[in-house]
Amino acid sequence: MSGLLPNITYACFGLSYLCALVLELTRLRWPWPSLRYAALAFGAAGLFAHTAYLLYHQPDASTPSGSLLSVAWVLAIFGLYGSLHHTRQAWAVFVLPVVLGLVGLSLFMTTDLPATGTLAMPTWLISDRFWGAMHGMFLLFAAVGISVGFLASVMYLIQASRLRAKANPLVGIELLSLERLEEMNRRAINLAFPMLTVGLLLGGVLLRQYHDLAENWLSVKVLGTIGLWLVFLVLLYLRYATHVPGRRLARLTLLVFAIMVLVLASAHPFATGGGK
Amino acid sequence: MNLRAIGCNFRTAPVEIREKLAFDPAKQEWAVSELAARFGAEVVLLSTCNRVEVYLARGLEEQPFDLELGAEFLAECHNLPGRLVGEHLYEFVNEAAVRHLFRVAASLDSLIVGEGQIAGQVKQAFELSRKLGCTGSLLNPLFQHALASAKRVRTETGIAHGHVSVSSVAVDYVRQVFDHFADKTVLVIGAGKMARLTLKHLQALAPGRILVTNRSPQKAVEVATACGGKPVPWDRLDDALIEADIVLSTTGASEPIMPRARFNSRVLPRRNGTMVILDIAVPRDFDPAIHDGDQVCLFNIDDLTRIREQTIARRQRHIAPAEAIIDSEVKRFLEEWNRRRSGPVIGQLTAELDKLRSEVVNQLLPKLNGKITQEERKLIEYHFRLFQNKLLHGPIAALQEASREGQSGTLLEALKKLFRLE
Repeated sequence: MSGLLPNITYACFGLSYLCALVLELTRLRWPWPSLRYAALAFGAAGLFAHTAYLLYHQPDASTPSGSLLSVAWVLAIFGLYGSLHHTRQAWAVFVLPVVLGLVGLSLFMTTDLPATGTLAMPTWLISDRFWGAMHGMFLLFAAVGISVGFLASVMYLIQASRLRAKANPLVGIELLSLERLEEMNRRAINLAFPMLTVGLLLGGVLLRQYHDLAENWLSVKVLGTIGLWLVFLVLLYLRYATHVPGRRLARLTLLVFAIMVLVLASAHPFATGGGK
Repeated sequence: MNLRAIGCNFRTAPVEIREKLAFDPAKQEWAVSELAARFGAEVVLLSTCNRVEVYLARGLEEQPFDLELGAEFLAECHNLPGRLVGEHLYEFVNEAAVRHLFRVAASLDSLIVGEGQIAGQVKQAFELSRKLGCTGSLLNPLFQHALASAKRVRTETGIAHGHVSVSSVAVDYVRQVFDHFADKTVLVIGAGKMARLTLKHLQALAPGRILVTNRSPQKAVEVATACGGKPVPWDRLDDALIEADIVLSTTGASEPIMPRARFNSRVLPRRNGTMVILDIAVPRDFDPAIHDGDQVCLFNIDDLTRIREQTIARRQRHIAPAEAIIDSEVKRFLEEWNRRRSGPVIGQLTAELDKLRSEVVNQLLPKLNGKITQEERKLIEYHFRLFQNKLLHGPIAALQEASREGQSGTLLEALKKLFRLE
């Protein structure tokens, strides 16, 4: 096993996810059960390789590459679970492109720092970097929540446009109901906002304590996260305090996701590290 | 095989004749028992709104049940002139009867191809005959195979995909919007026949509350009582719409009851999420401009009919693969049936020759006692068995071949006579 781990690269899980996606797309035209099983197998293989890669290389979650890869990993789990649970809906068709996009972006952002090369306990657990890790963890979960909200919003917009066009409900891609997608979006956003708030506050405290420099406060990462939080706040206000149609809320969720990707892809003002 | 399928359907008989020939359960039970007793036959009687058919199987040596007898019997059951019945009947014989039943059960012979009810009706008719002890060695495997083939057609082709009733299509749309219904309110406006039918489909979703409103308070109470709903006065229509998640509208009003301006000002500001309006009234009750596919999803009778027609057209594309499945299943059934018929004869023939061989060998071996070794004795026995097998190979192969082609009857009789088999 330890001989296999160093050989796992982005290509292993990236191509596995890509194969799963191609099979899922093929399944839309020819809904054969064998294609579903093959897609699940490729998805599971990709997730296994992805997990092994994260365990072995332990990329720093404060780096663009590490954070994107970690969010992609949680979404891949979400995608596989959804594919197993929603046998009739084309779940993976929506999740896998986001996973692949994040993996691709992570690869693009990778710095050539050496991997840890061991399966040892992560350093953040045994050092004084605990609060920094907690800050990253909260933001990671917030990112996952936003990604799920994004996926629900994409599906919502497609479903709503089909209903608007009065398309045949039993022809074409099978989706969850508007109500279910709206619920999924609401739950994801409700979960993500507190996480983002706590993560942001922790980051603020840490920045103030250890790196209290003007250029740090004005970095894209910090300003972007604050901007994300503000847009998020508007989203929640529109959702709960005013009467806004679901389609507009879904579009706003897409904007939140876009800002989040921008924030994740921007360099942390004072973090180092990376992975292969 | 001495099988006949005799009956009429929507193609050969108008509805006035079909309704006269239809059997209620009690009459059907009597007819099946009477036919079985009168003709000493296996009988299944299928009676639906689109067809009445008798499947009757008799022994090979008996006179076949024919169209004339079938017409006489049906006329007798319903006190109709035999000639009137006879001119609407068709008759399928043996293999054609098998194929006809398979096509009927698979809904390939239905008014709406792919409709799901017919397989259940065939099953019910078969179960009734079986319960009455009126099925046997032919109809039991025949109907079981027909039902299994129908299932294969439904699962392996898209012939049953989608819904072809306006009410079911309406429910499909509702399901695109809502996931759970226990917390939903259905508002029924009007009391037309179509409303009641669609409401039945909506009731199957188990909505939390049903409100009914009508210009006639008495009719509103009637419909509400029938569906376990609550009547709402007509002048509270706007309030009821605000509360509703699903609206089913079928009034006979000559003008729209809900113009866009009124809807936008009084109903749209509600905060209950998306509303689905099924406007199946002609002329339409709701202004079509209300539809936005997000807050309000409005489907009128034309939308629902269009989907229904698309589904029917799509089903046509699956007829050829379904027919291919039926062809292969009919072939399989006939092969199986013929094999079953020739099996006992082959068994008897083998046993008879086994007996003859043993007799000859048992006469020969004592005469050679002491002159041959144990090994030579075994060799003789082996060669006698080999001779028997070679002798039987030809007739058995010919019989199996004839069985596959469904022409084993004469050969079977010949073998029975030649070898004096009982």
